[in-house]
Amino acid sequence: METEITSETLTAFLDGELPPKEMERIAALLAARPDLDAWVRRQEKLRSNLKRAFSGVVDEPPPQKLLAAVRDTPVSKRWLLRHWLAPWMPRGWAPLGAALAAGLAIGIVLRPSSEFISTDGQVLAGGKLADALSHKLASNGYDGAGTRIGISFRDHAGHDCRTFDQAGHTGLACHQENGWVIAILDSRPESTGGAYRMASSEMSDSVRQAVMARIEGVPFDAAAEKAARDRGWK
Amino acid sequence: MDASADTIRAQMVQLLPRLRRFAIALTGSPADGDDLVQDTVERALRSLHQWEPGTRLDNWLFRIAKNRFIDGRRSHRRSSSVIMEAPEEAAAAYTDGIRATEAHLALKDVVHSLQNLPIEQREALALVVIEGMSYRDASDILGIPIGTLTSRIARAREALADLMPED
Repeated sequence: METEITSETLTAFLDGELPPKEMERIAALLAARPDLDAWVRRQEKLRSNLKRAFSGVVDEPPPQKLLAAVRDTPVSKRWLLRHWLAPWMPRGWAPLGAALAAGLAIGIVLRPSSEFISTDGQVLAGGKLADALSHKLASNGYDGAGTRIGISFRDHAGHDCRTFDQAGHTGLACHQENGWVIAILDSRPESTGGAYRMASSEMSDSVRQAVMARIEGVPFDAAAEKAARDRGWK
Repeated sequence: MDASADTIRAQMVQLLPRLRRFAIALTGSPADGDDLVQDTVERALRSLHQWEPGTRLDNWLFRIAKNRFIDGRRSHRRSSSVIMEAPEEAAAAYTDGIRATEAHLALKDVVHSLQNLPIEQREALALVVIEGMSYRDASDILGIPIGTLTSRIARAREALADLMPED
């Protein structure tokens, strides 16, 4: 008695995509069905013809114009940004979400402090924080004392901005004519476990989102950070 | 310099031969195939943020190539009165540009035959039979269920058996 077999099943057999028992069943069936066996053999020959025909293409070196395209096409700024921010991103962090708008507000109630000066509806950095924002270079590494500078970048309005971490606060400040304007300030993320703190700078979600929303291009590298500082920040 | 971007570029260079093979199978000519690969890698790098690290870079590139090919045909059909290059001309253009060795002559015949297949069969056949991809990877790249992919490969195989000469 003959078993009907579809071309889909034979195709999956040819490609080794059937479950092991089904592969065995079809192989046994082919032995008893010369017509199907001939079709399968013909297809195997077609496959090897196709592969052989294209072998020259895969064996020869790619044309220069393709190598140049891979070498010279700039990668997307958003990818660079994500790559730069990766050390500060917790696992599974989802990009900009609904929290963005809320995150642009000052995240905590400020206590009176010389580090933060409220004036004309703005909060300016003062004291040691302002000094650190103006002079410290993240590329020099953290000196273990006071303010830790994170990343520096140019924002969409053309101002230089820097993230910082100081005394339980993490924030973003952008340089304007009247000084460093605090764009966002948040309490520093609590480390899970309490006793352990990561050595690298930590950014809260709201600070990260503020950076993502404002940044033009990619963060400054060490040379750009130093150059910006030396000319007095824009 | 960005080490990770360099790593991705290096991986792309490694993938160029396979992308070229796929693109030539789709377009029907090495010149058009290389244009498609160039378009693909430029597009990929410029939208690299859309690639999810940890997922297959090769599958992502093949998907872009397939989509760019389809998009290119659509815009070509909309905007141009130029008739699509006939398969014979496409294959001839290939052999004009290179040494007409036996393998290349075989490629001419194969390219000719492939161009007679509907696009959806051609892309399925190219990924599974020529590239040797699993059904899972191919269906992922083409965005179709495995059952649909299997049918397309089966149709393509039947048609090719009629089109290609026995030797």
